[in-house]
Amino acid sequence: MSIATKIPHSLLFHHLSNPFLKSLKTLSFSSQQPLNSSSLSPSPSLQPVEELPPKLQEIIKLFQGGQEPKAKYEQLLFYGRNLNPLEPQYKTRENKVQGCVSQVWIRAYLDNDKNVMFEADSDSVLTKGLAALLVQGLSGRPVEEIVKVSPDFAVLLGLQQSLTPSRNNGFLNMLKLMQKKALQLYVEAEKADGSSSDVIEINELQNPNLVSNVDIENGGVKSNVIVNDLKKDLGNGNILGSRGLRIKETLEKELSPVELEVEDVSYQHAGHAGVRGSDGETHFNLKVVSQEFEGKSLVKRHRLIYSLLQDELQSGVHALSITAKTPAEVDSV
Amino acid sequence: MMITMEGVVLKLPPSLRIIKPNPNRTNRTFRTATFASASAPAPLSTDPQLANTHENLIFVQELNGKRIVYLDNAATSQKPAAVLNALQEYYETYNSNVHRGIHYLREIVFTRNATEAINLVAYSWGLSNLKKGDEVVLTVAEHHSAIVPWQFVAQKTGAVLKFVSLTEDEVPDVEKLREILSSQTKLIVVHHVSNVLGLSDGKNEPGQTPSLLFLQASVLPIDQIVSWAHDVGAKVLVDACQSVPHMVVDVKSLDADFLVASSHKMCGPTGVGFLYGKSELLSAMPPFLGGGEMISDVYLDHSTFAEPPSSWNFYHLRFVPPRINKQIKVAFGDQKFVENQDGKRFEAGTPAIGEAIGLGAAVDYLSGIGMQKIHDYEVELANYLYDRLCSVPNVRVYGPPPSRTVNRAALCSFNVEDVHPTDLATFLDQQHSIAIRSGHHCAQPLHRYLGVNASARASLYFYNTKEDVDEFIRALNDTISFFASFK
Repeated sequence: MSIATKIPHSLLFHHLSNPFLKSLKTLSFSSQQPLNSSSLSPSPSLQPVEELPPKLQEIIKLFQGGQEPKAKYEQLLFYGRNLNPLEPQYKTRENKVQGCVSQVWIRAYLDNDKNVMFEADSDSVLTKGLAALLVQGLSGRPVEEIVKVSPDFAVLLGLQQSLTPSRNNGFLNMLKLMQKKALQLYVEAEKADGSSSDVIEINELQNPNLVSNVDIENGGVKSNVIVNDLKKDLGNGNILGSRGLRIKETLEKELSPVELEVEDVSYQHAGHAGVRGSDGETHFNLKVVSQEFEGKSLVKRHRLIYSLLQDELQSGVHALSITAKTPAEVDSV
Repeated sequence: MMITMEGVVLKLPPSLRIIKPNPNRTNRTFRTATFASASAPAPLSTDPQLANTHENLIFVQELNGKRIVYLDNAATSQKPAAVLNALQEYYETYNSNVHRGIHYLREIVFTRNATEAINLVAYSWGLSNLKKGDEVVLTVAEHHSAIVPWQFVAQKTGAVLKFVSLTEDEVPDVEKLREILSSQTKLIVVHHVSNVLGLSDGKNEPGQTPSLLFLQASVLPIDQIVSWAHDVGAKVLVDACQSVPHMVVDVKSLDADFLVASSHKMCGPTGVGFLYGKSELLSAMPPFLGGGEMISDVYLDHSTFAEPPSSWNFYHLRFVPPRINKQIKVAFGDQKFVENQDGKRFEAGTPAIGEAIGLGAAVDYLSGIGMQKIHDYEVELANYLYDRLCSVPNVRVYGPPPSRTVNRAALCSFNVEDVHPTDLATFLDQQHSIAIRSGHHCAQPLHRYLGVNASARASLYFYNTKEDVDEFIRALNDTISFFASFK
């Protein structure tokens, strides 16, 4: 994942003293860059161990026990061996950790108490061990706690020396994926409960341990780099699949809109009946401003759009949320 | 075997300790190598030619108290002190942006690396010579850098890429390659030595006619391929990254149209590589990158480019040792290159002068040992590595077995049943200080073809020894039993 964000130079230097910030920027810009252990020396801004999920704290204590490297490997392998096997149907692309030298899959779901449960697997036993650490440490915890975990704790495990840089990087990517999935589940759950804009919710989950107070030139919007990452990945506006593009094309051709926004919000519905078994592009928000709507009632406008997108509706689109206005109506607002 | 070292040092993790000997020592001590097996040769470092030059080697490092055994030479090679000194000398003494008199070989274009050289051919020759329907033939065993640029070109021009698969012996199917060739074929892109399969041109066997070689072992005979290609009017681009460092490569007798290699795999610094191209081809190719040095005149709305001059020109070589030219000649087996600056057209901007000089020093160094000698030594070491590796249970080595007619390169890509290659490599590295590589080695299509995600690879160079191989095997056995105990 990479984000082209411009961070003002002054802020960059100011925060360079925060080693975690430095490494996080590294992560944000290129998931391929290895985690430099020397840049993560314990500092006051390190997340206090007490804030970590309790099981994770236990695991850290276990690994810190001044063992020689071989014993650490054994420990890691032991965890990996005790990991519950992941069923093949969950070894999908969405569940695969990017930037890993071996294959790693993570599955996340909510239990009855809205805690996130994780499952994982890998073809490499060392990576499986790493995944197991995370699964054990984070499973069964509430979303807020999971998202707040800073990757710093990896240093505390003392595994840096025992693993190659790319392995360390893979570990971070695993954690990131788990946090992202946790967030996704949270958002879906909230949506299902009928609360309002997910954008606000995501911002509320801002992690104070991650990048904060950095003005990213996004129209001066203060946001959290990780959160931006997640927002983008969650499909908040920018990325359209082939169906989304087709919809856009059709509307452009037929309505010559002055303004057109097609937003794929299928992720918010992932998990319920209408979506299961489809290729994922099932729910869209449409905003169309076109002269064609002049003189037509609201119902007529919606009917027009539905008729233009007949093919899509019949082949998997479950619902469209439509805002249809004429240019005049938009100007007068 | 103990090697005295000089020179230094990259930035390394803190647990790494560099052993620096007393630089005033000019004698080198060697434990005499006694081999249990007759097949392993005496290490090159005992060679009397080398023994007296203390500039010789390649530093030795320790990791966690153990000497590092470096077996990842296919990825990059270690640098002798002579090369490091040349670089330092350049930057301390010669460093100013002088005219690039060193690049006055018409058929050599210096690039950043072999990848850039291939891209140069792709963008400059490919885009202007290929059209819709033209075919480019490659093998499934090519390095990504030899595949991806041609995918771009195919997309842009409508040319078609055709891939030759492997035979049962895991060797590119030369018969099939011959069959694929047609009047539509415009280019063949092929490796000389595979960085995974270890397949090498078996030509070096004395007393064997090429056709006999071909029938017996289906090795990759570049000269045959070139002649078939020329028969149908196609050109050949040879990826010699794994061959030039290890053997004599006679580019004129191969009659290759293009040939690429990189410096850092042959004891030279990173940042420089080169393209050899036949002069008539290069002079007909449009420029690759635009900018300074490659131009003739520059106006606001257009520019003219360096033309081949009617008579040759030497640039003033005040700051650059003229022996660079000679060294390149030596590397190529003392070919006679005509001097002139067609190469200029493809070298925009300030080149990697220091690095090219470093490469020259590397060439010097290797020639001092002798490429044939290096090759002969490596053939024996390769056989030793292969034999020992195959004796480890549950190990599967890719590529053909060595034989009278098949020379393997001194590398083995392999997999161990039920152990992920990255687990192997991590444990070997951290516990045993043995550096091998794991992954797809920039050859994903090949791995897909072989039905695996990744493999481990041990690759040697002339400074590796039988002891290195023994230690590797010992450590490998230990590693495998460690992981097996966790099943």
